[in-house]
Amino acid sequence: MSGRGRKAALSAGAVAIALTAAACGGGSSPSGRSTAPTGGGPLTVASSVAPPTLDLTSNPAAAIDEALDYNVYQHLVQLDPKGHIVPVLATAYSVSADGLTYTFTVRSGVTFSNGDPMTPADVVFSLQRAMAPNSTYPYKAVLGGVTSVAVSGTNQVVVTLSKPNNQFLYDLAAYSNGVVLDPKAVGTIATAPVGTGPYKFTGFVPNYSLSFTLNPSYWGPKPGVSSLVFRYFPNANAENSALQSGQVQVVDNLPNPQDVSQFKGNSAYKVIAGPTNGKIQMTINNSSGPLSHAKVRQAISYATDKQAILQAAGAGYGTVIGSDTVPGDPWYLPSLAQVYPYNPAKAKQLLTEAGYPSGFALTLTLPPYGYAQTAGPLIAAELNAVGIRTTIKNIQWPLWISQVFLHGDFQLTIVDHVEARDVGNYANCGYYWKYAQCSQVASMLSAAQAATSQSGMVSGYQQILTKITAAAVNDWLYNPDQITVAKANIVGLPTSGRTESFDLTHASIGGTVSAQAQAQGYSS
Amino acid sequence: MARFLTVRIGLLLVSLVGASLLVFTVLAVLPGSPAQVILGTQATPASVRQLTIQLGLDKPLWQQYLQWVGGLASARLGSSYISHQPIGAQLVQALQVTGPLVLLSLVVGVVVAVPAGMVGALRHGRLAGTVIGVLSQIGVAIPTFVGGIVLIILVAVKAHLLPSGGFPGWAEPGQSLRSLVLPAITLGLVEGAILTRYIRTAVMEVLASDYLRTARAKGLSLGKAMRRHGLRNVLPPIVTVLGLEFAGLIIGAIVVENVFTLPGIGTLLLSAVQNRDLIVVEDIVMLVSGVVMLVNLLVDLSYRFLDPRMVRRT
Repeated sequence: MSGRGRKAALSAGAVAIALTAAACGGGSSPSGRSTAPTGGGPLTVASSVAPPTLDLTSNPAAAIDEALDYNVYQHLVQLDPKGHIVPVLATAYSVSADGLTYTFTVRSGVTFSNGDPMTPADVVFSLQRAMAPNSTYPYKAVLGGVTSVAVSGTNQVVVTLSKPNNQFLYDLAAYSNGVVLDPKAVGTIATAPVGTGPYKFTGFVPNYSLSFTLNPSYWGPKPGVSSLVFRYFPNANAENSALQSGQVQVVDNLPNPQDVSQFKGNSAYKVIAGPTNGKIQMTINNSSGPLSHAKVRQAISYATDKQAILQAAGAGYGTVIGSDTVPGDPWYLPSLAQVYPYNPAKAKQLLTEAGYPSGFALTLTLPPYGYAQTAGPLIAAELNAVGIRTTIKNIQWPLWISQVFLHGDFQLTIVDHVEARDVGNYANCGYYWKYAQCSQVASMLSAAQAATSQSGMVSGYQQILTKITAAAVNDWLYNPDQITVAKANIVGLPTSGRTESFDLTHASIGGTVSAQAQAQGYSS
Repeated sequence: MARFLTVRIGLLLVSLVGASLLVFTVLAVLPGSPAQVILGTQATPASVRQLTIQLGLDKPLWQQYLQWVGGLASARLGSSYISHQPIGAQLVQALQVTGPLVLLSLVVGVVVAVPAGMVGALRHGRLAGTVIGVLSQIGVAIPTFVGGIVLIILVAVKAHLLPSGGFPGWAEPGQSLRSLVLPAITLGLVEGAILTRYIRTAVMEVLASDYLRTARAKGLSLGKAMRRHGLRNVLPPIVTVLGLEFAGLIIGAIVVENVFTLPGIGTLLLSAVQNRDLIVVEDIVMLVSGVVMLVNLLVDLSYRFLDPRMVRRT
């Protein structure tokens, strides 16, 4: 969870949830890779957090996936910026009627950037490496339901699950567990990554830059750039200055949404904003004291003006969500945002009903991220207005992990849960907000994941969302947008933050983007 | 002299061991398990345990300490917990930025401070002296990062004269020097302002001294008296301050590297602290401590050349 720096949290119980295996299974829809963008020249992208390592299988830092996933490494299936699953290193896939067996046809004629051929055995190697007992893959739990992975025939891979999970394909596409590695190059994964994607790694200066050339043996149409550099800027001013002075052509996600005003309306730049998977929420410790009463938590939700918080912390770039779901989820319900409209009088009334007519005192613990630092004082003022005397405590991120997340030593905190489809966290009784009815959610979740129809899955998830929203387990504030700013002639950029990758497969300087890629959500 | 050196180097080694104990203890009690910070909030407890064992963090603290110090002593720094890159190579890469930056800043500081301090003292009480006094106060008061940001806006964003930040690497020395100009000015001006005030005070003291009055009485011009008798007496306090300022420059470099996004020691240290990359933090702190101690030793040695009376006293 949290800011750009660190992906966070999720379902230890695993379940990040995915769309429609069953529903769109069997598809081999063409992936939109028939584009051949024209144009060229070196592309430099500014980003705010540098990757701490290049090994995306050892560390969940979002910055690693942002640069390497989809650009250097590819999966059997991936997400497009619209959030749809598209076959990439698989040409087709099918799901058995019982939802337990997934069969992938592996694309032929693909080579890694070092010249090694990519085979079905490499796919099996990669998935088994993630599942191995001594593996420390950060999203290992997502593959918890897989019982076997094997080569079948000459060009197929068969994955067997222990119980039906209609989110399996989504997980494989969205999480770095799904990358296909070259077994011969895996020893140097932290210093010289090798994949099948459109870009080939050439150099890394820690905390500074990450460089790529085009992968000469890439199986698809090459991007319309001659080389690619990610440049890292620890402060937002330097990042904006670099774009204005021409050192970089793209800022992949403005760290301060307010800075958009420097570029908006200037024809030299384009601003591309689209939803992320993030839920910026005020997490409530449900385990003890006044906060264990649903009415108190509901009062807190009524007392916070989410629209005003979105304006202040996100410059209006985002959506008020009201629950653990974001636009683009198959089960997204806009009406959940209306369950607790801003109403301080109602909040006071609920506090009185719960037995706290004169309020009580709370501490709001804030990690050092911009959204939390801006939203925190606002919320504290709003809570004070209804009689909840709120003190703010600022702590560093490593301390947040140990105090708040591991030891549950907090009352309120604000954090961005960036992982996609993570409602499974509410089924995890050990999760840091300590939701009392986690076991009921766990059985509801199993049923929703086992649904074989799209409508069954959607209604299963919506029942969970309705339940946790009614209990006001947390105070969900808003879903932030990813805001990309680029020089006007850069095309083929992803128009959303739905993928961990800043997917530059279709990027081009001064070229064009096919109608098909545009339909998938790459900018024109 | 040999005895003096032996004692001083012995003291330096004892100080280094003390520093290593202090650094290790402070970081050992720092909250936040490195394995949990690395793996994030999605990791299973089993993965976190597995990684803790892989990192050797399950061993007793004294074993971890001996292993680290042993590595330092034999110049085997090992690899970072997190980046899996050799630490020695990372330090060398970062020093190629911070080293030249600190030296350039020192040059800027001295070039500004020596004339300004002299003029400030000689013209004390007159317009030039007052202007220098006020400017140096302002220079001391403005935080480095504010000065840096103002320079970026004026020189890089508005006038496009120099890059707003970044460092292309020494493959193109011209480009690299260009990108160090603004950071070195930012850092050097602040140090220069502090140094100006010390030089002004030292020169004023000398000007008021009996021996200088005697020299003038014998018929030497002010300039000649200063060159022959004054400067040598001005130098020891200034060299002392320069030595102290050197430590200040290294600390200032951490801020300036952040403002100008230079991949130096400061940037490496900050990211290592944030990522709980403890070995890297420990190694950098030891490196900086060692350099500062060495500079202090050199300052002490320099007294013996600047002021022969010191030799007789020891």
